Amino acid sequence: MATEEKIINIRDLSKRFGSVNALDGLDMSVTRGEVHGFLGPNGSGKSTTIRVLLGLLKKSSGDISLFGEDPWSNAVSLHGKLAYVPGDVNFWPNLTGGEIIDILGELRGGLVESRRAKLIERFELDPSKKFRAYSKGNRQKVALVAALASDVPLYILDEPTSGLDPLMEKIFQEEVLALKKEGKTILLSSHILSEVEALCDRVTIIRNGKSVLVYTLAELKKEHANLEALFLDQYDEE
Amino acid sequence: MTGVWPLIKIILRRDRIKLPIWILGISGSLLSIVPHKTQQYGDQTSLESLYATFGTNPAGLFLTGPMDGASFGALITIETVLWWGLAVAFMNTMLVVRHTRQNEESGAQELLLSGRVHRASSLIAVLMVSFAVNTILGGIIGGGLAVLESSWGVSGALLFGFSMGAFGFVWAVIAGIVVQLVGSARSANGLLAGLVGTMFVVRGIGDFTGSVGSNGLIQPGAVSWVSPFGWMQANHALTAPEWWPLIIPLLFVVVAIPCALWLLNSRDVGASILPEKKGNARASALLKTQLGLTWRLQKNVFIGWLIGAIAMVVSVGVLVPEMSTIYESNDSAMQLIEALGGDGELIPAFLSAMLMITSVLVFAYVIHALGRLRTEESNGYLEILLSTQLSRGAWLARHGVVVALGGMVMLVLSGTILAISVNIATDTTADVAEYIYAALSYFPVVLLFGSLYVLLFGVVPRIAGLVTWLLFGFVAFMSWLGPMLQFDDWVYDLSPLEYVNAAPAEDIDVQPLAIMTGFALVLIATGVVAWRVRDIDQ
Repeated sequence: MATEEKIINIRDLSKRFGSVNALDGLDMSVTRGEVHGFLGPNGSGKSTTIRVLLGLLKKSSGDISLFGEDPWSNAVSLHGKLAYVPGDVNFWPNLTGGEIIDILGELRGGLVESRRAKLIERFELDPSKKFRAYSKGNRQKVALVAALASDVPLYILDEPTSGLDPLMEKIFQEEVLALKKEGKTILLSSHILSEVEALCDRVTIIRNGKSVLVYTLAELKKEHANLEALFLDQYDEE
Repeated sequence: MTGVWPLIKIILRRDRIKLPIWILGISGSLLSIVPHKTQQYGDQTSLESLYATFGTNPAGLFLTGPMDGASFGALITIETVLWWGLAVAFMNTMLVVRHTRQNEESGAQELLLSGRVHRASSLIAVLMVSFAVNTILGGIIGGGLAVLESSWGVSGALLFGFSMGAFGFVWAVIAGIVVQLVGSARSANGLLAGLVGTMFVVRGIGDFTGSVGSNGLIQPGAVSWVSPFGWMQANHALTAPEWWPLIIPLLFVVVAIPCALWLLNSRDVGASILPEKKGNARASALLKTQLGLTWRLQKNVFIGWLIGAIAMVVSVGVLVPEMSTIYESNDSAMQLIEALGGDGELIPAFLSAMLMITSVLVFAYVIHALGRLRTEESNGYLEILLSTQLSRGAWLARHGVVVALGGMVMLVLSGTILAISVNIATDTTADVAEYIYAALSYFPVVLLFGSLYVLLFGVVPRIAGLVTWLLFGFVAFMSWLGPMLQFDDWVYDLSPLEYVNAAPAEDIDVQPLAIMTGFALVLIATGVVAWRVRDIDQ
């Protein structure tokens, strides 16, 4: 394990908003080529962690590195190596899905055209609709297509499938596994435990801004019947 | 109908601040004109000379409607009926859109309709509120006019007020139809603004093509009857009141309300009657460039304010001929213009003063357009943009560049069109280049407002807009009304416009402009530094 390159390395990370500790000594690491699940109750600090990773928020204390660099001071150059899907997908209401995908692609240094076309077809997205006319699931598809059609080493996905139907969920899983085969690294925050079980190599569970458990899926399956039992155990301790 | 009364309470609760401001703002500003004008046109001679010019000037006909003889009532009518009518129309259309289509768009309507609420209740509730609001507004205007001046009689004053109220209700009902047709509050408001503008112009064409009637006054052409503005004019409330034209808005709403209800009943909740327009499946080459996207996002605000600024300078241009005959015989008006525009000849002084007033619209544009920075952040668009290779500095810079260029273009066009319209409408010659330079001398103040916003956006983003608009309000107030009111000198000195000479009547003084520009650059630099080191704040 020690020789594996750590794409994300977080040690004792804290983030305070006024007197509120959103993150309070979080540890987490993501190694190259893995799909890493990031789980925790609502308000436990998952999105805050991701925003610190993206250089949108400045850490209060602790260590955080992305590709071995500081995500706050090297934000722009690091962003060339990742694609992000936010939890709340919100875009300019009067632009179409297709236009938004192209604009984001351009800002990420170009899309893989063949992948863009394939993803739009597989996700059955109508790219000529204005963004405001999309349902929640279709809004997520816009952000997903824009991210998955980019050729980058790291994908950060914050609850990307909460609005997708089971059929689309299946396609999403296939696309993530295909990326994994290419050796890409994926950080997947999710509440959908079956999705985490199907995709992730390891999971970090976070509560009140602290990581409470890190497991490989193999360890997990040995000790617990399934992820759900583990997850509910953690929640019940509250 | 089930649910109407609770919905009315929700509307009143949500709009408890907005509606009183609209009502008092419209009625207060309209009524405050009257004593001012009584002072200015106290004697019959000045009314006669005004009528002599207004009665025959086609541009005047277009902008204000025909003047019904040399009376004080006719003067107040042309000064107020159309322009305050515009405000009343927008108050009503925005009210209806806010409580119907906007609720459907946000999803609130779905939740409401899952309760014991009839599908049509929200439309009926908002129309009932609109009816009450317009009645109150009409009552205040009518009552106020009756108290302030006796020449038009109590019944004429009340007719004026209530016909404006009826006009407002007509627009509420039109909005009730339009919100059934289109799928978003934004397009509904856009379509309605276009309709109000079109009806204003249709009425203008009617007045323009009118003929002199048996009483020696201009009667609007038949086209005017198409427009609700024309219905309001047809009362001649303050000159020769007639109540029968009120039947037209009455008939209109009796037919139109069932139409709106029928449309509402024949569509799904959240859906529109007109198909949602499809857009492009791919981004154009322009949209993919940094400035192209910013321009697309900033375009509508720019065009809106540009139309406002151009309408302002065009109307100033066509007013010049009237002004020269009216004001030369009026000492107090002369003093006012000299205070605004400096000494010297009357017309250049007047035009320079108007250019300064137009520049205030450009300041408003800059603050409105830069407000986009905060909108993008608080709506969450920025989070994903900044997760790409776009840097914070570059994002801010491209909005800054588009808005600054927009402000510059708006100033140049204002100066150019002012000079051209003066050249066309009068026998005075205005040098276009001179007016362009004069307009551009306000650019440092544009920069100052922009830089203030950028500074606040970097340091205290949540109140950046509020603080900048308040300062703008002060500057606008001082430039429009300051010369008429008596303040201590230091109060005037607080406004940056105080340091800009009113060109071209006065020479441009470069030194204060350079100082302002330097100051603005310092504010921008400080704001950018603060923005680059703060958290994104949704």
